[in-house]
Formats: sequence, structure tokens, C-alpha cells
Amino acid sequence: MSQILAILWKDIRAELRTKDIFISMFVFILLTLITFNFAFSGEKLQYEVVAGAMWVSYLFAAVLGLSRSLVHEKDKGCLEGLLLCPMERSVIYFGKALGNFLFLLIVQVLSLPFFSVFFTQAELLKRPLYLFISFILGSAGISAVGTLFSAITVNTKARELLLPVLLFPILLPVLIGAVKLTLFVLDPQPIYEPLKWMQLLLIYDIIFVLFSNLTFHYVVEE
Amino acid sequence: MMEKILRFSVLVLVPFSLYLAFFYAPVEKTMGIVQKIFYFHVPGAWVASLAFLIVFIASILFLKTTDFKYDIIARASAEIGVVFCTLTLLTGPIWGKFAWGAWWDWGEPKLVTFLVLWLMYLGYLLLHRSVQEDLRRAKYAAVYGIAAFLDVPIVFLSVLWYRTVHPPLVIVERGGLDAKMKVAFFVSLFTFTLLYFIFFQQVRSTIELRERIKEIKSKLEG
Repeated sequence: MSQILAILWKDIRAELRTKDIFISMFVFILLTLITFNFAFSGEKLQYEVVAGAMWVSYLFAAVLGLSRSLVHEKDKGCLEGLLLCPMERSVIYFGKALGNFLFLLIVQVLSLPFFSVFFTQAELLKRPLYLFISFILGSAGISAVGTLFSAITVNTKARELLLPVLLFPILLPVLIGAVKLTLFVLDPQPIYEPLKWMQLLLIYDIIFVLFSNLTFHYVVEE
Repeated sequence: MMEKILRFSVLVLVPFSLYLAFFYAPVEKTMGIVQKIFYFHVPGAWVASLAFLIVFIASILFLKTTDFKYDIIARASAEIGVVFCTLTLLTGPIWGKFAWGAWWDWGEPKLVTFLVLWLMYLGYLLLHRSVQEDLRRAKYAAVYGIAAFLDVPIVFLSVLWYRTVHPPLVIVERGGLDAKMKVAFFVSLFTFTLLYFIFFQQVRSTIELRERIKEIKSKLEG
């Protein structure tokens, strides 16, 4: 556990010094938000569109952060250093995944005021608990699979290009579940059953955390 | 010998099942001639599923044994699976246009799952192309092949729940199939399955030859 936290702490410290992942993710989310607003020009956006816009921007921002987090390790030879440390491979996996999860979560929370300012009709904080649950369960799924896949794509020719191609189809259940949960928060007369979607996300998260943890050492070892 | 028998039986069975589908089986009353798609759409979907199941099993075996035999099996099977998946996706909307009056229905879990499957295994083939080193490539593809297959039931479930507000779709009873239709259908199913094995042999030996050429080339270059 302390080893996992050590890796997490290393990532946080590196990020606090450069802030490049964080800033690019955040700016990207803002840009997506603005683009969405103009793309559906002048229309009073429906709840469905707002929830969709939120998760589309989170998903793409996550891909940015995920690929960066391993490119750094790879290019500076840090991954070899980590692999040489006397610890389980799953410790590295959990450390990296936890870092990705945390960054995504922070960016999501920070972007909330902007979503509620720009999409004026959406009351985002009416059911804060459910919104927060959707963030946690959604981001957990994204970073569980994303960390594994970015460890794969970092060694391919196309790198950042291949990551979304591999990731998005696998993440479809997360997207559907998270959007449905967010819709439950936004809609004044919710007809969606939040519990069902929470279960779906939870099952997905458990399956893919276990799977990624089991297969991570095949991916990083030479 | 085995392969010759296989080839010969397919040579006979393909025209035979075409004859059964188009002439022997009666034209369906409500759907008319469009119903003939049934004899190709369903077997195509079956072969695609079988192919992806084999990718899954071969991927697990590869990670366990690191025997490249399984990698080649998985790759060959994925290629054929994508072809039959394409066939299913092309015939499905034609059927849908006549049965539901629309080319596509995002609430139909089978349809959407097949689209996601198609995207996943295209990604799988792309991944194979974008890694140079053999062991890495095979490992990555195996991990992805397992992840994709694990994801399928969750994708299906999430699309099934996607339209919670709508009443459940009335599923057309298949029990009312005419006896002649049944014959044509099962013969077609059998033919498609044999076709899979023939293609599989072919693709596998092509990949094996390609690998040998690569080996010889690298030896020549020293």
C-alpha cells in the first residue's frame, strides 16, 4: 500500500512542478464545452446534450492525460527504473491508475462551475451525491482500462492515435452508464433508475480493475 | 486429406445452401423476399461470434504458454471474424428497414453490440500492425483480445438498458418457422461454419508464410 502511495505521490509531485497534464486537460474540457455550445448554435440545449457534452469532454481529456502519463515514464526511461524496483507489477499499475483517476476527478470537479455557468438551464448541484458518484465510478472505469491500454500504446508506432481507437469501444458501457447517471442529476423529472446504472458501472469497474491488474505485467515486461 | 474433404464439401454445400435458401424455402408472407437475408445474416453473426470466441481462447492460451502458434490462430480468427461481422452489419440494416421501417435502431442491443464488436476487432488488427517486435505485439494483442471479449456482455447489457423509458420491444417469435425454412437455415449455418474453417486454414497458412519470410529476411540481413 505504501508503495502504491509512493508512486502516486511521485506522479503528483511531478505534475505539481510542470502542471502540463492538468492544464491541457482542463483547457481541453473548456474548449469542448465552448465548441458544443456553438455547434448547437443558439439552441437551448437539452439535458441530454449537456450530460453528453460533459462526458464526451471528460473522455477525450482523459485520453490526453492517460497517454501523457505513460509517455513521460517511457521517454525519460523512468518505466525501466520503476520495473527495476523490488515490488509487484500490480503496485505500479495501481499507482499509475490511481494517479490518472485522481487527476481526472479533480479536473471534473473543477470544470463543474463552468458547465453550470455556460449551460444555464442545467442545475448541476441539485443532487450532488449522484453527480459525484457518477464521477467516481465513471473515472474509475476510464482510468482502470486506460492505464493498461496506454501502457500498450506507448510502445506502438501510432501512440496517441491508437489509444482512443482501442479505448473507446471498450469504454462504451462506462460512457452510457455515466451519462445516464448524470442525466438523473440534471433532469428535473428523472425517469431513470440511478441504482441500475450504478450497478452496471460498479460491475464494469470491478471486472476491469481485476483484469488490468492481472495482465499489466504482460504489457510492461520485456 | 482433411483439408481436401473440407474444400470439396464446401464446393458442394455453397450452391446447395443457396438453392435451399432461394428456391426450396418458401417466400415469407409478410416480409416477402427480404426474409431471405435471414439465411445469411444469422449464420454470419454466428461465425463472427465463433471467430471472436476463438480469438479470446487463443489469447488466453498465448499469455499462458507464449507459444506463437496461438498468436497466429488468434490473428487469423480475428481477420475472418471482422469480415463476417461486416457481412452481418451490412445485411442487418436491410432487414431492419423492412421489419422496423428504419435502417438502424440504437436501442437494439444485438445490432449495437455487433457494431462495437466490429470496432473492437478492427482495433485489434490495427494493434497487430502497429507494433514491430513480435513478442510485444503478440502480448499486447492477446491482452486486448481478452479485454474485448470480456466487454461484450457488459456492452450488450448497457445497450439493453439504454432505453428504459420505452416499453420493451416485442420480439418476433422465431418458433413459427416453416419446416422448409428451418432446413434451409440449418444447412446455411453449417455451410457458413465450414467456410469459417476453410478461411481459417487459408489465413493461417498465409500468416505462417509471412512470418517465415520475415524470419528468412532477418537471417539474410544478418
